[in-house]
Amino acid sequence: MDPSEVEFLAEKEIVKIIPNFSLDKIYLIGGDLGPFNPGLPVQVPVWLALNLKQRQKCRILPPPWMDVDKLEEVREMERKEDSFTPPPSPYYMELTKLLLNHASDNIPKADEIRTLVKDIWDTRIAKLRLSADSFISQQEAHAKLDNLTLMEINTTRSFLLDSLNCMFKLRSNMQPGTSAGKALDY
Amino acid sequence: MPCERKPMRYGHSEGHTDVTFDDSGKFIVTCGSDGDVRIWESLDDDDPRSINVGDKAYSLALKKGKLVTAGSNNTVQIHSFPDGDPDGILTRFTTNATHVAFNHSGSRVAAGSSDFMVKVVEVSDSSQQKTLRGHDAPVLSVTFDPKDEFLASASCDGSVVVWKIDEQTKVTSWPVLQKSNDVSNAKSLCRLAWQPKTAKLLAVPVGTTVHLYERDSWEHVGTLSDDMITQPINVVAWSPCGQFLAAGSVGGFLTVWNAESKLCVERQKHEKGYTVCGMAWHPSGSQMAYTDTEGCLGLLDALPTSSANALMKTHKAPVVKAANDYDDLFDEDDDRVMDEGLSDTHSPAKHPVVGGDDDDDDDDLMPATGRVKNRGSFLDDENSLDTGSLKLGQEKYRDEDDAGSTIAPPTGSSLLPRPVYDGPLPTPPQKPFQPGSTPSHLTHRFMTWNSVGIVRGYNDEQDNAVDVEFHDTAVHHAMHLTNALGHTLADLSQEAVLLACPATDELASKLQCLHFSSWDANKEWIVDLPEGEDVRAVCLGQGWAAAATSTLTLRLFSIGGVQKELFSLPGHVVSMAAHGEQLLIVYHRGTGFDGEQALGVQLLQLGRRKRQVIHGEPLPLSFKSHLSWLGFTAEGTPCYVDSEGSVRMLNRSLGNTWTPVCNTRETCKGKSDYFWVVGVHENPQQLRCIPCKGSRYPPTLPRPAVAILPFKLPLCQTTTEKGQMEEQYWRSMVLQNHYGFLSSSGYEIDGEGQNQAQKEQQELLMKMFALSCKLEREFRCMELAELMTQNVVTLAIRYASRSRRMALAQRLSELAMEKANQLQEEEEEQEESEGAGGHLNSRPHQARQEEHREEEVEDAQEMETLETDGENRKRQSRCLNPFARGAGGSPEKPSPKPISKEGRVNPFKVLGSGKSPSSSGQSRITNVLDSMTSARRPAPLGGSSGKQNKGPILKPLAPKPKTKTQSTLLQMATSKAANKKAQVNTEPAVDRLKQPEVPPPDSPVDNSENKKPRTGFQLWLEENRKSIVADSPDLPETDVIREAMGRFRSLSAEDRLSWTERAKGQSVDPADLKKRKRAEEVGEVDSENAQKEADENIAKKKRSLDSTAKLSAFAFNKN
Repeated sequence: MDPSEVEFLAEKEIVKIIPNFSLDKIYLIGGDLGPFNPGLPVQVPVWLALNLKQRQKCRILPPPWMDVDKLEEVREMERKEDSFTPPPSPYYMELTKLLLNHASDNIPKADEIRTLVKDIWDTRIAKLRLSADSFISQQEAHAKLDNLTLMEINTTRSFLLDSLNCMFKLRSNMQPGTSAGKALDY
Repeated sequence: MPCERKPMRYGHSEGHTDVTFDDSGKFIVTCGSDGDVRIWESLDDDDPRSINVGDKAYSLALKKGKLVTAGSNNTVQIHSFPDGDPDGILTRFTTNATHVAFNHSGSRVAAGSSDFMVKVVEVSDSSQQKTLRGHDAPVLSVTFDPKDEFLASASCDGSVVVWKIDEQTKVTSWPVLQKSNDVSNAKSLCRLAWQPKTAKLLAVPVGTTVHLYERDSWEHVGTLSDDMITQPINVVAWSPCGQFLAAGSVGGFLTVWNAESKLCVERQKHEKGYTVCGMAWHPSGSQMAYTDTEGCLGLLDALPTSSANALMKTHKAPVVKAANDYDDLFDEDDDRVMDEGLSDTHSPAKHPVVGGDDDDDDDDLMPATGRVKNRGSFLDDENSLDTGSLKLGQEKYRDEDDAGSTIAPPTGSSLLPRPVYDGPLPTPPQKPFQPGSTPSHLTHRFMTWNSVGIVRGYNDEQDNAVDVEFHDTAVHHAMHLTNALGHTLADLSQEAVLLACPATDELASKLQCLHFSSWDANKEWIVDLPEGEDVRAVCLGQGWAAAATSTLTLRLFSIGGVQKELFSLPGHVVSMAAHGEQLLIVYHRGTGFDGEQALGVQLLQLGRRKRQVIHGEPLPLSFKSHLSWLGFTAEGTPCYVDSEGSVRMLNRSLGNTWTPVCNTRETCKGKSDYFWVVGVHENPQQLRCIPCKGSRYPPTLPRPAVAILPFKLPLCQTTTEKGQMEEQYWRSMVLQNHYGFLSSSGYEIDGEGQNQAQKEQQELLMKMFALSCKLEREFRCMELAELMTQNVVTLAIRYASRSRRMALAQRLSELAMEKANQLQEEEEEQEESEGAGGHLNSRPHQARQEEHREEEVEDAQEMETLETDGENRKRQSRCLNPFARGAGGSPEKPSPKPISKEGRVNPFKVLGSGKSPSSSGQSRITNVLDSMTSARRPAPLGGSSGKQNKGPILKPLAPKPKTKTQSTLLQMATSKAANKKAQVNTEPAVDRLKQPEVPPPDSPVDNSENKKPRTGFQLWLEENRKSIVADSPDLPETDVIREAMGRFRSLSAEDRLSWTERAKGQSVDPADLKKRKRAEEVGEVDSENAQKEADENIAKKKRSLDSTAKLSAFAFNKN
């Protein structure tokens, strides 16, 4: 799975927009959208919001979690806790990127939010690396991690799996000749 | 009264504060719980100097450039003044010091502490300390004898002790105070004060009175009290002359007595009623500063002084004469009362009173708890109204005063009666405002926000501009105008922007209109108003503009700038709103009293037949509120909101009364949160408003988002099921009034929505009926039944008989008969009147009949197609590919409508609504999103294609015959419900409108097909089709037939047989025969249809048809 696919999934998230056009309900496979009344907030998926925004057909209202105070709180929490705290949104990274890249004029304090989300992301990825490291060094057979987002899993998956495979191969080749103790140092 | 209370201002954060003047009287110095000492040059000093002295400062004293503070770090510190440099620590305690005081010369400082000790320290040498021990609880306050011999202290142990400083011994002690365990728990701070100069008296606040003790004898020589003081006195302070004693109490009462006469010369009430905890006289004695526990600083100015006193003595008589009549009257009264009460007519206390009565009797001291003004100015919230001088509750106090003054004053502390006006006070009239605007004093403000767009005004250093933005960019692109004329009023419509500015010294008041929808090149016009006339309110209707001016004139203009009618208003305008051809004006009907506004309302119809709909009737407002929004719903019903958040709507069906439909305050989370209304829609029921946290109106940035509130009629007991349904019913009734209005004034109405609403109402009635039935309230059942339409009554009869309420069913059937007769009569009348209408009317009537026939034929056609290809694919049709349908129109329906109209149907579209795509009247292009990129559509008012179904439905139609049922009894019986009737009739109406040129569908082919023998099912379907469609309006054509088959099958064998027989006996002309048959079968058909409905709506379970025979006995039979 590559990041663009995860982003694609994130585009199904719902955001509120304020359209500046008038349109009846539109009927799509994924469900009905609208009706669109100029000046009245309406909930649409991110992909539509961005599409409309690019054509200057709407103003996007940032999701409630995309707020400096709330994100600061999440960041502090994330730094304090050793385990993963629940993310502000299951697609927080993707949504931040999408919305800030395309609609930063509709989001107050866009720069601060970008920094905060990056901080949260970095903290979480660091935790993820750390847990992967301890997972390998303790030679555990399984581990459980809660509150990971799809994007986070996706960033670490290919590398982790490949390296585990690789190590397995190395270890099984090594096993006959060496003692069990030496297998630990790689 | 003479003194002037300056407005309070914030000095410190909430908590204990203290205040003093410096020696020169140039600075006010305060300290507070934020640990800062602030030096104010005056009360208006916006940038006081701050000296930080610790975490908290409990008390301060200032003399000779030394600032002594008692802080939270258990020390008493010195700072230099006014520089604020720390000058060391004077003394330390084991806990914090509570009060510090200088002696008269400034050489010594006394400090009382929570560790029960009082210390007296030489300022020059802090090692020279004297400790006074003897209190058994924290010391509340200390004060020096001006002669430096004694020191008095009050403590939480309830005692006030006088010490001899040099000997460090107790001289005397009075256990007069209430005991407590800590300063924070003490009822009163008990700040003592020793009379300056003579040093004769020591003032001790005891409860709500002040005790005066004489020096040396230490006798209690007098008590100062005032009836107004109801809570313990916190602080007392002597005026520098030693003649007056001021006291400040819990609850914010400020009182000044003349110590000699023990008369109260001054009363003031803290403007917010906060506890006064610090007080200081200006060295000149003319001002007094005070602080409260909320950190605010206040100032009383123009206090009586001894010099003024002397002056007054000589000039007493002239002053009294000089006072105006009103005051004079009361002054004399005063004198008389005082003369009665006191033998000493030359009591000095009287003079300041008289002297002070010169002007603003209005603005004086009186207690005004919760005065609207203060709240208003605090929130800075009122764009329209300076509620300022709504002096609520003032009269009560005055009454008390009066009562007090007539009784002989007890113990010599007399109350001064003051000039009193006893009646209700006039409310200042509300200022004019534009609906949806924020106050004009703001630099960035909304000049108007309505359903069309937003006009924002900027007026700061770099820019004076007006921004116009449209919600729907299809109306017009956003505009940025420089506001050279200084416009303050704006309105916005689909056609134009109207701006207006008040007159200046050089320029007359102007009205500027940007008529952007004009088709010529000149899109702007400006009109100058006559000199001395100011625009107060403007509004834009459809094709016209109106401006109300300061000369009580209302001027109408055409949208192109032609001056039209003008008329005089009965009062000063408050606000105006327009919608289509309607103009709604709210004006001041008169003077309101006690916080009420007296507003009147006029509603005018400015179309071709101009008339006044509401003739200046009083506008109902909530208690003590003012108008805060005025406008129309998108559907054109007048509507307004008052400052208490109550939304009222005109109820045209109840003699143009105003019905409260919503209270926005109920939905607010916080007490100071408000909803700022920007629009009201009746269909769908929406109140569009902007939630404002802690204010009445939103800021322009960040851009506020609109929220939607539902309507809720304030009916009783809406928590119960009954109350809920009643509320729903009446809400639906009130909010569907606009259909009647729109159709009567020739606008296109959303028939679909109306039917929906009516259906909902009938359903609710039926539910309420069922509920009352369950509760055995048969009388109530009857009452409900009277509200029902005739066919729902039939259902009710069934329900009643099924639940074995035969008496009720009997009555209901009588009612049904009555209703049927009524209906019939009405229709006959209508027919007659139409017949009498002559030539003009006869055509539409004919057309209608034709139309009806047309429709029947259409039905028959459908049957035929079903016959031919439907028979053999009865079952297959179930798994028909839904995508196949859209491709070539509906195969089941070779309708007269051209296929092209449907356009390319969106294959994904769920047929959610009852209307088939063709009847929706909307030509949608497949990819709606793509279509939006196309250039903006020409937008006649509200008529852009996207808006046909919603939004402001303002689409005048060419006069068309009203669609009405064919007025025969037969018709009534067959097409069941009123709503069904309407549906049946509106659909052809729509069709006809769309394509009047389409030839009548009875083509030869159809006719030949009609002649084919028909099956019983077909006949049955013909009869019941409408009821099926009405029951489940969202079924597509195939499903309707399928459903019909299902139902037909569920009929009993006999019934089916009878239908088949009927079919066989049918002649070649089905249309004629059908009618005849209908006449014969009315009763039966009726009962069967009703049975169907009952099955669907109520029982929702299959019952054997045999029971219907029994039940139908109660169904009325027309024959």
